[in-house]
Amino acid sequence: MGDPDPETTGQQLRKFQKELSAGTVSLVLLAVLQAAGEPMYGYQIAKRLERFGDGVLAGKQSALYPVLRNLGAAGLLDSHVEPSTSGPPRRYYRITGAGLAVLHEWSAAWRATRDSVDAVLRGLEP
Amino acid sequence: MTTVLPTTIPEYLDQLRRALAGADPALVQDALYDAEEYLRSELAENLDRSEAEVIASVASSYGAPEEVADIYRDTEVKVQTALRPPPPRPRKSPLGRFFGVAADPRAYAALFYMLLSLATGIFYFTWVVLGTSLSAGFSLLVIGIPLLILFLGSIRMLSLLEGRIVEVMLGERMPRRPLYGVRDRPLLERIKDMFLDPRTWSTVVYFLAMLPLGILYFTIAMSLVVVSLSLVLAPLALLPGVHFNLWIFGIDVPDQAPWLLPLLTVAGVLLLFATLHLARGIGRLHGLFAKNLLVKSAQYS
Repeated sequence: MGDPDPETTGQQLRKFQKELSAGTVSLVLLAVLQAAGEPMYGYQIAKRLERFGDGVLAGKQSALYPVLRNLGAAGLLDSHVEPSTSGPPRRYYRITGAGLAVLHEWSAAWRATRDSVDAVLRGLEP
Repeated sequence: MTTVLPTTIPEYLDQLRRALAGADPALVQDALYDAEEYLRSELAENLDRSEAEVIASVASSYGAPEEVADIYRDTEVKVQTALRPPPPRPRKSPLGRFFGVAADPRAYAALFYMLLSLATGIFYFTWVVLGTSLSAGFSLLVIGIPLLILFLGSIRMLSLLEGRIVEVMLGERMPRRPLYGVRDRPLLERIKDMFLDPRTWSTVVYFLAMLPLGILYFTIAMSLVVVSLSLVLAPLALLPGVHFNLWIFGIDVPDQAPWLLPLLTVAGVLLLFATLHLARGIGRLHGLFAKNLLVKSAQYS
Protein backbone atom coordinates (compact mmCIF):
# COMPACT_ATOMS: atom_id res chain seq x y z
CA MET A 1 0.00 0.00 0.00
CA GLY A 2 1.38 3.39 -0.99
CA ASP A 3 0.56 6.81 0.34
CA PRO A 4 -3.10 7.76 0.10
CA ASP A 5 -3.75 9.82 -2.98
CA PRO A 6 -5.42 13.10 -1.84
CA GLU A 7 -7.58 13.20 -4.94
CA THR A 8 -8.99 9.73 -4.36
CA THR A 9 -9.68 10.40 -0.70
CA GLY A 10 -11.43 13.62 -1.66
CA GLN A 11 -13.60 11.75 -4.12
CA GLN A 12 -14.37 9.08 -1.56
CA LEU A 13 -15.31 11.76 0.95
CA ARG A 14 -17.70 13.45 -1.47
CA LYS A 15 -19.29 10.14 -2.35
CA PHE A 16 -19.71 9.28 1.33
CA GLN A 17 -21.21 12.70 2.11
CA LYS A 18 -23.64 12.31 -0.74
CA GLU A 19 -24.79 8.92 0.46
CA LEU A 20 -25.14 10.16 4.02
CA SER A 21 -27.17 13.17 3.01
CA ALA A 22 -29.43 11.08 0.77
CA GLY A 23 -30.96 9.55 3.88
CA THR A 24 -30.76 12.41 6.32
CA VAL A 25 -32.05 15.31 4.23
CA SER A 26 -35.65 14.06 4.41
CA LEU A 27 -35.40 13.69 8.18
CA VAL A 28 -33.94 17.16 8.59
CA LEU A 29 -36.56 18.74 6.33
CA LEU A 30 -39.39 17.19 8.32
CA ALA A 31 -37.76 18.36 11.55
CA VAL A 32 -37.31 21.93 10.28
CA LEU A 33 -40.92 22.13 9.15
CA GLN A 34 -42.17 20.70 12.42
CA ALA A 35 -40.11 23.17 14.45
CA ALA A 36 -41.20 26.09 12.30
CA GLY A 37 -44.89 25.53 12.94
CA GLU A 38 -45.79 27.61 9.90
CA PRO A 39 -45.61 26.89 6.19
CA MET A 40 -42.22 27.62 4.64
CA TYR A 41 -41.00 27.82 1.05
CA GLY A 42 -37.88 26.28 -0.44
CA TYR A 43 -35.56 29.24 -0.11
CA GLN A 44 -36.54 29.88 3.52
CA ILE A 45 -35.89 26.26 4.43
CA ALA A 46 -32.50 26.35 2.69
CA LYS A 47 -31.51 29.47 4.61
CA ARG A 48 -32.58 27.99 7.92
CA LEU A 49 -30.56 24.85 7.26
CA GLU A 50 -27.57 26.98 6.31
CA ARG A 51 -27.48 28.26 9.89
CA PHE A 52 -26.80 24.75 11.14
CA GLY A 53 -23.79 24.35 8.91
CA ASP A 54 -23.05 22.58 5.68
CA GLY A 55 -22.88 19.05 7.01
CA VAL A 56 -26.37 17.87 6.37
CA LEU A 57 -26.72 18.86 2.75
CA ALA A 58 -23.15 17.97 1.82
CA GLY A 59 -22.97 21.03 -0.34
CA LYS A 60 -25.70 22.16 -2.60
CA GLN A 61 -29.05 23.52 -1.55
CA SER A 62 -30.62 22.74 -4.90
CA ALA A 63 -30.85 19.14 -3.69
CA LEU A 64 -33.59 20.28 -1.28
CA TYR A 65 -36.23 20.97 -3.84
CA PRO A 66 -36.59 17.51 -5.36
CA VAL A 67 -36.66 16.02 -1.84
CA LEU A 68 -39.41 18.45 -0.79
CA ARG A 69 -41.43 17.44 -3.81
CA ASN A 70 -40.98 13.75 -3.03
CA LEU A 71 -42.03 14.22 0.58
CA GLY A 72 -45.08 16.05 -0.73
CA ALA A 73 -45.87 13.23 -3.14
CA ALA A 74 -45.57 10.72 -0.29
CA GLY A 75 -48.15 12.67 1.74
CA LEU A 76 -45.72 13.69 4.49
CA LEU A 77 -45.93 17.34 3.52
CA ASP A 78 -48.79 19.51 2.36
CA SER A 79 -48.14 22.33 -0.03
CA HIS A 80 -49.85 25.32 -1.53
CA VAL A 81 -48.79 28.08 -3.86
CA GLU A 82 -48.83 31.77 -3.04
CA PRO A 83 -47.92 34.59 -5.36
CA SER A 84 -44.81 36.53 -4.49
CA THR A 85 -43.56 39.93 -5.49
CA SER A 86 -39.96 38.87 -5.95
CA GLY A 87 -40.34 36.01 -8.41
CA PRO A 88 -42.46 33.07 -9.44
CA PRO A 89 -45.25 32.08 -7.03
CA ARG A 90 -43.78 30.25 -4.05
CA ARG A 91 -44.72 26.78 -3.01
CA TYR A 92 -45.19 26.67 0.76
CA TYR A 93 -44.77 23.39 2.60
CA ARG A 94 -46.30 22.32 5.89
CA ILE A 95 -45.88 19.00 7.72
CA THR A 96 -48.90 16.66 7.81
CA GLY A 97 -50.08 14.27 10.51
CA ALA A 98 -48.49 11.38 8.64
CA GLY A 99 -45.30 13.45 8.41
CA LEU A 100 -45.24 13.98 12.18
CA ALA A 101 -45.63 10.25 12.83
CA VAL A 102 -42.86 9.46 10.34
CA LEU A 103 -40.63 12.15 11.82
CA HIS A 104 -41.06 10.61 15.25
CA GLU A 105 -40.02 7.16 14.06
CA TRP A 106 -37.20 8.46 11.89
CA SER A 107 -35.69 10.47 14.75
CA ALA A 108 -35.67 7.37 16.93
CA ALA A 109 -34.03 5.39 14.15
CA TRP A 110 -31.49 8.16 13.61
CA ARG A 111 -30.56 8.33 17.29
CA ALA A 112 -30.13 4.58 17.47
CA THR A 113 -27.92 4.62 14.37
CA ARG A 114 -25.90 7.58 15.61
CA ASP A 115 -25.31 6.02 19.03
CA SER A 116 -24.19 2.69 17.68
CA VAL A 117 -21.96 4.27 15.02
CA ASP A 118 -20.43 6.52 17.68
CA ALA A 119 -19.86 3.56 19.97
CA VAL A 120 -18.07 1.67 17.20
CA LEU A 121 -15.99 4.71 16.26
CA ARG A 122 -14.99 5.27 19.87
CA GLY A 123 -13.46 1.83 19.85
CA LEU A 124 -11.26 2.88 16.94
CA GLU A 125 -9.87 6.02 18.50
CA PRO A 126 -6.45 5.88 20.19
CA MET B 1 -16.71 21.48 -19.96
CA THR B 2 -16.15 24.83 -18.27
CA THR B 3 -18.46 27.73 -18.86
CA VAL B 4 -18.25 31.28 -17.65
CA LEU B 5 -20.21 31.87 -14.47
CA PRO B 6 -23.45 33.64 -15.44
CA THR B 7 -24.00 37.21 -14.26
CA THR B 8 -27.77 37.51 -14.63
CA ILE B 9 -30.65 35.28 -13.64
CA PRO B 10 -31.82 34.65 -17.22
CA GLU B 11 -28.25 33.67 -18.10
CA TYR B 12 -28.10 31.29 -15.15
CA LEU B 13 -31.41 29.69 -16.14
CA ASP B 14 -30.21 29.49 -19.70
CA GLN B 15 -27.05 27.64 -18.66
CA LEU B 16 -29.10 25.32 -16.49
CA ARG B 17 -31.41 24.62 -19.40
CA ARG B 18 -28.45 23.82 -21.62
CA ALA B 19 -26.86 21.64 -18.95
CA LEU B 20 -30.09 19.66 -18.78
CA ALA B 21 -30.37 19.30 -22.56
CA GLY B 22 -31.72 15.90 -23.44
CA ALA B 23 -33.32 15.34 -20.03
CA ASP B 24 -37.04 14.85 -19.65
CA PRO B 25 -38.70 18.21 -20.53
CA ALA B 26 -40.91 17.97 -17.46
CA LEU B 27 -37.86 17.62 -15.22
CA VAL B 28 -36.25 20.60 -16.94
CA GLN B 29 -39.34 22.69 -16.28
CA ASP B 30 -39.31 21.79 -12.57
CA ALA B 31 -35.58 22.43 -12.22
CA LEU B 32 -35.87 25.85 -13.85
CA TYR B 33 -38.80 26.77 -11.65
CA ASP B 34 -36.99 25.82 -8.43
CA ALA B 35 -33.80 27.60 -9.46
CA GLU B 36 -35.70 30.74 -10.33
CA GLU B 37 -37.48 30.75 -6.98
CA TYR B 38 -34.16 30.44 -5.15
CA LEU B 39 -32.34 33.04 -7.25
CA ARG B 40 -35.13 35.63 -7.07
CA SER B 41 -35.51 35.16 -3.31
CA GLU B 42 -31.75 35.47 -2.80
CA LEU B 43 -31.72 38.61 -4.90
CA ALA B 44 -34.63 40.09 -2.95
CA GLU B 45 -32.81 39.37 0.34
CA ASN B 46 -29.61 41.07 -0.81
CA LEU B 47 -30.76 44.28 -2.40
CA ASP B 48 -27.45 45.99 -1.67
CA ARG B 49 -25.51 43.54 -3.83
CA SER B 50 -25.45 43.38 -7.60
CA GLU B 51 -27.09 40.55 -9.50
CA ALA B 52 -23.67 39.23 -10.56
CA GLU B 53 -22.41 39.11 -6.95
CA VAL B 54 -25.53 37.32 -5.79
CA ILE B 55 -25.23 34.74 -8.52
CA ALA B 56 -21.57 34.19 -7.72
CA SER B 57 -22.44 33.41 -4.10
CA VAL B 58 -25.38 31.25 -5.17
CA ALA B 59 -23.03 29.08 -7.21
CA SER B 60 -21.49 27.85 -3.96
CA SER B 61 -24.69 27.55 -1.92
CA TYR B 62 -27.34 26.48 -4.44
CA GLY B 63 -24.87 25.12 -6.95
CA ALA B 64 -23.55 26.11 -10.34
CA PRO B 65 -25.86 25.31 -13.26
CA GLU B 66 -23.99 22.11 -14.12
CA GLU B 67 -24.00 20.84 -10.54
CA VAL B 68 -27.70 21.57 -10.22
CA ALA B 69 -28.34 19.70 -13.46
CA ASP B 70 -26.47 16.68 -12.08
CA ILE B 71 -28.42 16.77 -8.81
CA TYR B 72 -31.77 16.83 -10.63
CA ARG B 73 -30.80 14.05 -13.01
CA ASP B 74 -29.66 12.00 -10.05
CA THR B 75 -32.79 12.54 -7.99
CA GLU B 76 -35.06 11.78 -10.91
CA VAL B 77 -33.56 8.30 -11.17
CA LYS B 78 -34.01 7.73 -7.44
CA VAL B 79 -37.58 9.02 -7.40
CA GLN B 80 -38.55 6.86 -10.31
CA THR B 81 -37.31 3.76 -8.59
CA ALA B 82 -38.70 4.77 -5.19
CA LEU B 83 -42.17 6.13 -5.98
CA ARG B 84 -43.35 4.19 -8.98
CA PRO B 85 -44.89 0.80 -8.42
CA PRO B 86 -42.25 -1.83 -9.14
CA PRO B 87 -42.59 -3.14 -12.68
CA PRO B 88 -43.99 -6.66 -12.64
CA ARG B 89 -41.47 -9.37 -13.37
CA PRO B 90 -41.24 -9.79 -17.13
CA ARG B 91 -42.82 -13.09 -18.05
CA LYS B 92 -41.10 -15.26 -20.55
CA SER B 93 -43.84 -17.39 -22.04
CA PRO B 94 -46.36 -15.78 -24.40
CA LEU B 95 -49.12 -17.15 -22.18
CA GLY B 96 -47.59 -15.57 -19.08
CA ARG B 97 -47.17 -12.31 -20.93
CA PHE B 98 -50.80 -12.32 -22.00
CA PHE B 99 -52.24 -12.98 -18.54
CA GLY B 100 -49.50 -11.06 -16.71
CA VAL B 101 -51.24 -7.84 -17.66
CA ALA B 102 -53.67 -8.45 -14.80
CA ALA B 103 -50.84 -7.72 -12.35
CA ASP B 104 -49.94 -4.43 -13.96
CA PRO B 105 -51.59 -1.48 -12.15
CA ARG B 106 -50.87 0.65 -15.23
CA ALA B 107 -53.44 -1.33 -17.22
CA TYR B 108 -56.27 -0.66 -14.76
CA ALA B 109 -55.29 2.99 -14.38
CA ALA B 110 -55.30 3.39 -18.17
CA LEU B 111 -58.70 1.72 -18.38
CA PHE B 112 -60.00 4.14 -15.78
CA TYR B 113 -58.46 7.05 -17.64
CA MET B 114 -60.34 5.94 -20.78
CA LEU B 115 -63.62 6.08 -18.88
CA LEU B 116 -62.77 9.39 -17.22
CA SER B 117 -61.68 11.00 -20.48
CA LEU B 118 -65.28 11.32 -21.61
CA ALA B 119 -66.00 13.70 -18.73
CA THR B 120 -62.74 15.64 -18.96
CA GLY B 121 -62.98 15.70 -22.76
CA ILE B 122 -66.42 17.28 -22.69
CA PHE B 123 -65.27 19.80 -20.09
CA TYR B 124 -62.12 20.85 -21.95
CA PHE B 125 -63.95 21.10 -25.26
CA THR B 126 -66.74 23.19 -23.76
CA TRP B 127 -64.22 25.42 -22.02
CA VAL B 128 -62.31 26.10 -25.24
CA VAL B 129 -65.43 26.68 -27.30
CA LEU B 130 -66.94 28.91 -24.63
CA GLY B 131 -63.70 30.85 -24.19
CA THR B 132 -63.08 31.44 -27.88
CA SER B 133 -66.67 32.29 -28.73
CA LEU B 134 -67.03 34.65 -25.79
CA SER B 135 -63.80 36.45 -26.62
CA ALA B 136 -64.69 36.57 -30.32
CA GLY B 137 -68.19 37.78 -29.59
CA PHE B 138 -67.04 40.48 -27.20
CA SER B 139 -64.13 41.52 -29.40
CA LEU B 140 -66.44 44.19 -30.82
CA LEU B 141 -66.43 45.69 -27.34
CA VAL B 142 -63.36 46.48 -25.29
CA ILE B 143 -63.75 43.53 -22.93
CA GLY B 144 -63.04 40.94 -25.67
CA ILE B 145 -59.28 41.28 -25.35
CA PRO B 146 -59.07 40.87 -21.54
CA LEU B 147 -61.43 37.91 -21.85
CA LEU B 148 -59.14 36.31 -24.41
CA ILE B 149 -56.11 36.85 -22.18
CA LEU B 150 -57.91 35.38 -19.18
CA PHE B 151 -59.03 32.46 -21.29
CA LEU B 152 -55.48 31.70 -22.49
CA GLY B 153 -54.24 31.94 -18.91
CA SER B 154 -56.87 29.43 -17.80
CA ILE B 155 -55.80 27.12 -20.63
CA ARG B 156 -52.30 27.00 -19.14
CA MET B 157 -53.62 26.12 -15.70
CA LEU B 158 -55.87 23.41 -17.16
CA SER B 159 -52.87 22.09 -19.05
CA LEU B 160 -51.03 21.57 -15.75
CA LEU B 161 -54.07 19.85 -14.31
CA GLU B 162 -54.39 17.48 -17.25
CA GLY B 163 -50.65 16.89 -16.94
CA ARG B 164 -51.14 15.69 -13.35
CA ILE B 165 -53.97 13.36 -14.39
CA VAL B 166 -51.91 11.94 -17.23
CA GLU B 167 -48.89 11.42 -15.02
CA VAL B 168 -50.80 9.70 -12.25
CA MET B 169 -52.88 7.47 -14.50
CA LEU B 170 -50.73 6.88 -17.55
CA GLY B 171 -47.30 7.15 -15.95
CA GLU B 172 -45.91 9.72 -18.34
CA ARG B 173 -43.71 12.24 -16.50
CA MET B 174 -45.32 15.70 -16.83
CA PRO B 175 -44.35 19.10 -15.43
CA ARG B 176 -45.39 19.91 -11.89
CA ARG B 177 -44.69 23.59 -12.05
CA PRO B 178 -45.87 26.21 -14.48
CA LEU B 179 -43.28 27.45 -16.92
CA TYR B 180 -42.09 30.96 -16.36
CA GLY B 181 -41.03 33.19 -19.13
CA VAL B 182 -38.57 35.96 -18.67
CA ARG B 183 -39.59 37.69 -15.47
CA ASP B 184 -38.53 41.27 -15.78
CA ARG B 185 -40.41 41.92 -18.99
CA PRO B 186 -43.35 44.30 -18.88
CA LEU B 187 -46.82 42.83 -18.58
CA LEU B 188 -47.70 43.54 -22.19
CA GLU B 189 -44.61 41.71 -23.41
CA ARG B 190 -45.47 38.72 -21.29
CA ILE B 191 -48.98 38.64 -22.67
CA LYS B 192 -47.46 38.77 -26.12
CA ASP B 193 -45.22 35.83 -25.19
CA MET B 194 -48.30 33.88 -24.20
CA PHE B 195 -49.78 34.45 -27.65
CA LEU B 196 -46.54 33.55 -29.40
CA ASP B 197 -45.88 30.46 -27.27
CA PRO B 198 -46.68 27.46 -29.47
CA ARG B 199 -47.51 25.49 -26.33
CA THR B 200 -50.58 27.65 -25.68
CA TRP B 201 -52.00 26.77 -29.07
CA SER B 202 -51.01 23.11 -28.99
CA THR B 203 -52.82 22.87 -25.65
CA VAL B 204 -55.95 24.33 -27.27
CA VAL B 205 -55.65 21.72 -30.04
CA TYR B 206 -55.21 19.00 -27.42
CA PHE B 207 -58.32 20.12 -25.54
CA LEU B 208 -60.38 20.18 -28.73
CA ALA B 209 -59.13 16.73 -29.64
CA MET B 210 -60.04 15.43 -26.19
CA LEU B 211 -63.77 15.43 -26.98
CA PRO B 212 -63.65 12.95 -29.90
CA LEU B 213 -60.85 11.01 -28.20
CA GLY B 214 -62.76 10.91 -24.93
CA ILE B 215 -65.89 9.62 -26.66
CA LEU B 216 -63.83 7.03 -28.52
CA TYR B 217 -61.93 5.88 -25.40
CA PHE B 218 -65.09 5.72 -23.32
CA THR B 219 -66.96 3.75 -25.97
CA ILE B 220 -64.13 1.29 -26.51
CA ALA B 221 -63.53 0.72 -22.80
CA MET B 222 -67.19 0.53 -21.87
CA SER B 223 -68.31 -1.79 -24.64
CA LEU B 224 -65.37 -4.16 -24.31
CA VAL B 225 -65.76 -4.45 -20.55
CA VAL B 226 -69.53 -4.93 -20.75
CA VAL B 227 -69.30 -7.51 -23.55
CA SER B 228 -66.58 -9.52 -21.80
CA LEU B 229 -68.32 -9.43 -18.43
CA SER B 230 -71.61 -10.59 -19.91
CA LEU B 231 -69.81 -13.41 -21.70
CA VAL B 232 -68.12 -14.42 -18.45
CA LEU B 233 -71.48 -14.43 -16.67
CA ALA B 234 -73.29 -16.29 -19.46
CA PRO B 235 -73.59 -19.64 -17.59
CA LEU B 236 -75.78 -17.88 -15.01
CA ALA B 237 -78.52 -18.26 -17.64
CA LEU B 238 -78.90 -21.86 -16.50
CA LEU B 239 -79.92 -20.85 -13.00
CA PRO B 240 -83.59 -21.50 -12.41
CA GLY B 241 -85.67 -18.35 -12.54
CA VAL B 242 -83.10 -16.37 -14.52
CA HIS B 243 -84.26 -15.10 -17.86
CA PHE B 244 -81.13 -14.34 -19.75
CA ASN B 245 -81.50 -14.07 -23.48
CA LEU B 246 -78.40 -15.09 -25.35
CA TRP B 247 -78.78 -15.43 -29.07
CA ILE B 248 -75.86 -16.23 -31.29
CA PHE B 249 -76.43 -16.71 -35.02
CA GLY B 250 -80.08 -17.40 -34.43
CA ILE B 251 -79.48 -20.02 -31.74
CA ASP B 252 -80.90 -19.50 -28.28
CA VAL B 253 -77.77 -20.66 -26.48
CA PRO B 254 -79.08 -21.54 -22.99
CA ASP B 255 -81.99 -23.41 -24.54
CA GLN B 256 -80.54 -25.17 -27.54
CA ALA B 257 -76.80 -25.40 -26.92
CA PRO B 258 -76.04 -25.12 -23.19
CA TRP B 259 -72.65 -26.79 -23.72
CA LEU B 260 -71.56 -23.57 -25.43
CA LEU B 261 -71.90 -21.56 -22.22
CA PRO B 262 -68.53 -22.54 -20.63
CA LEU B 263 -66.84 -21.73 -23.92
CA LEU B 264 -68.43 -18.30 -23.84
CA THR B 265 -67.03 -17.79 -20.34
CA VAL B 266 -63.57 -18.66 -21.58
CA ALA B 267 -64.01 -16.25 -24.48
CA GLY B 268 -65.15 -13.57 -22.02
CA VAL B 269 -62.08 -14.01 -19.83
CA LEU B 270 -59.79 -13.84 -22.86
CA LEU B 271 -61.55 -10.70 -24.07
CA LEU B 272 -61.19 -9.12 -20.62
CA PHE B 273 -57.43 -9.67 -20.66
CA ALA B 274 -57.21 -8.44 -24.23
CA THR B 275 -59.09 -5.31 -23.12
CA LEU B 276 -56.50 -4.67 -20.40
CA HIS B 277 -53.75 -5.01 -23.00
CA LEU B 278 -55.55 -2.60 -25.30
CA ALA B 279 -56.10 -0.11 -22.46
CA ARG B 280 -52.43 -0.21 -21.53
CA GLY B 281 -51.43 0.34 -25.15
CA ILE B 282 -53.85 3.22 -25.64
CA GLY B 283 -52.70 4.71 -22.34
CA ARG B 284 -49.10 4.65 -23.48
CA LEU B 285 -49.96 6.27 -26.82
CA HIS B 286 -52.14 8.90 -25.20
CA GLY B 287 -49.36 9.71 -22.72
CA LEU B 288 -47.00 10.41 -25.61
CA PHE B 289 -49.66 12.45 -27.37
CA ALA B 290 -50.30 14.55 -24.25
CA LYS B 291 -46.61 15.04 -23.66
CA ASN B 292 -46.05 16.28 -27.20
CA LEU B 293 -48.88 18.77 -27.11
CA LEU B 294 -48.80 19.93 -23.48
CA VAL B 295 -45.07 20.13 -22.84
CA LYS B 296 -43.15 22.29 -25.17
CA SER B 297 -40.05 20.30 -25.85
CA ALA B 298 -38.69 22.52 -28.60
CA GLN B 299 -37.65 25.06 -26.00
CA TYR B 300 -35.31 22.70 -24.23
CA SER B 301 -33.57 21.13 -27.15
